[in-house]
Amino acid sequence: MVTHDTPTDPLLTITDLEAGYGKKPILTGASYDVRPGECLTLLGANGSGKSTSLNVICGFVKVTAGSIRYRGTEIAGLAPHRIFRHGIAQVSQARDLFPDLSVEDNLRLGAMRRGGDSAAQTLAGIYERFPRLAERRKQATRTLSGGEQQMVAIGRALMSRPGLLLLDEPSGGLSPQFCEEVAQIIDSLKAEGMTLLMVEQNLNLAFRAADRFIVLRDGKVVDGGDVRAMAGDHDAIVRNIYL
Amino acid sequence: MQVSSLPRLRRRLFWAVPVLLLALPLLTNEYTQFVANGMLIAALVTLGFSLVIGNLGQLAFANTAFFGLGAYASAILSATLGLPWIVTIPLSGLVGALGGFVASSAALRGIRAYYLAIITLAFGELMRWVYVHARPVTGGTNGLALPKETLFGFSLSDDKVKFYVFLLVAVLLIKATSNLLRSRLGRAIMAVRENEVATASLGIPTARIILMTFAWSGFVTGCAGALFARHVGHVFPESFGMIQLISSFAMVLVGGLGSILGAVLGAVLLTALPEYLRAFPGLEELFFGLIVGAVLLVLPMGLASLLRRASPLFSERYYRE
Repeated sequence: MVTHDTPTDPLLTITDLEAGYGKKPILTGASYDVRPGECLTLLGANGSGKSTSLNVICGFVKVTAGSIRYRGTEIAGLAPHRIFRHGIAQVSQARDLFPDLSVEDNLRLGAMRRGGDSAAQTLAGIYERFPRLAERRKQATRTLSGGEQQMVAIGRALMSRPGLLLLDEPSGGLSPQFCEEVAQIIDSLKAEGMTLLMVEQNLNLAFRAADRFIVLRDGKVVDGGDVRAMAGDHDAIVRNIYL
Repeated sequence: MQVSSLPRLRRRLFWAVPVLLLALPLLTNEYTQFVANGMLIAALVTLGFSLVIGNLGQLAFANTAFFGLGAYASAILSATLGLPWIVTIPLSGLVGALGGFVASSAALRGIRAYYLAIITLAFGELMRWVYVHARPVTGGTNGLALPKETLFGFSLSDDKVKFYVFLLVAVLLIKATSNLLRSRLGRAIMAVRENEVATASLGIPTARIILMTFAWSGFVTGCAGALFARHVGHVFPESFGMIQLISSFAMVLVGGLGSILGAVLGAVLLTALPEYLRAFPGLEELFFGLIVGAVLLVLPMGLASLLRRASPLFSERYYRE
């Protein structure tokens, strides 16, 4: 069922979501929403359901109960390629690039469903955002550094001009120098009004980039709030996550 | 060599080869012309096979069935329905494409890898059963003979005349496949090979890509079947069995998995080799096996990799190193 949303409505609403792998439940009734233009960070210890949340939203993990509404449309249970067409793109933890294809082929695959002149324009925009990729456009992605591969992964997701971008551990396995670059990329996306849902273990990056956070434990939301309201005092959150 | 001039040079080379081959019938006798015609057919069969197992990365065994479907379609359409043979070529391609679609339709239910491979093998064996048992249509074990025909006044019984038709069909299909692989669809085919889950996450319906690849492979191989029917003048069920399948598989690997150039090279070498080895009666199989083994040991990426190392002119955009 489709309903018309208003500017104040959440872009994504997750209600009593349950999902898992085989018989093992991971999400056990999580509920939260993502508002247009914000960056929401999911925090939690390993196994709390952060990455599973993103994979459920994208359709890679089956929903066993609950609802996922995107722009008022129920998307729970749809195939991944249909969810992508609704405007949700994910940059996974593994980046999931096509290692033998060139940088440009990887990027163009992100706009496979659109094509045409608009894809060429978006590609030019991606190269403007990541000049290093323009220099390496003909190179196979397996020959790039980890940081450059992360740029390709983010660029490929942006090629689809998503309404909601999911970032799973964008700083995972990267040097501190490139973590800063990732932070800058996220800042620029936020400045352009992109809505982001992020999972990030690096709390410095998580709190720098996010407008709001929620803490997951045993597949449920146990805490959350506005990052600015904490005025840099993250100790209570860290205790809540890990203790 | 300027990198920017490479695509232009590559295009010129592509067209120069068939232009030079136009003179081949002037240099051949009846026997060598027959072998050359067989090479063109083998090149198309290998190309269709390589597209599925090399470019798409799906192990499959139905290409011999597409070949047989094309050959029988051509024979039935010309012998029974009286259509000119030349018209049966694209129609045989369409029958092969339909075969490709049917053989791979299990992909729509999420079946992949070895399971899909076994289904394609079963499809191939089922087709052989049909050729033998659908006697009123296929002629059963006696097969079907093609009627004698002329094309623009030239007899199609003449191998030199056939060569020009085969060459035209081969060039068109090789060029079309090359263009397909460089298109958005080609990029999606490679993406499925590299990481199907990631491909699906980009909004690409991967099952449909698999079906389309099998269908195009079936089209190319079906057209080759129509050429084969005219080449030998008679189609029998035994022509489309395991020996043909293994031979095509060897051509793909010797040429270079997923390489268009490799498909042609593998087909040329492994069609010529048995003919050459006839000079060593009793030792043909031994020499054949040794030579194929040696090529694969020295060049595990096939003959195409040798040329690619020699010059970037022979590199192919989506050929996996």
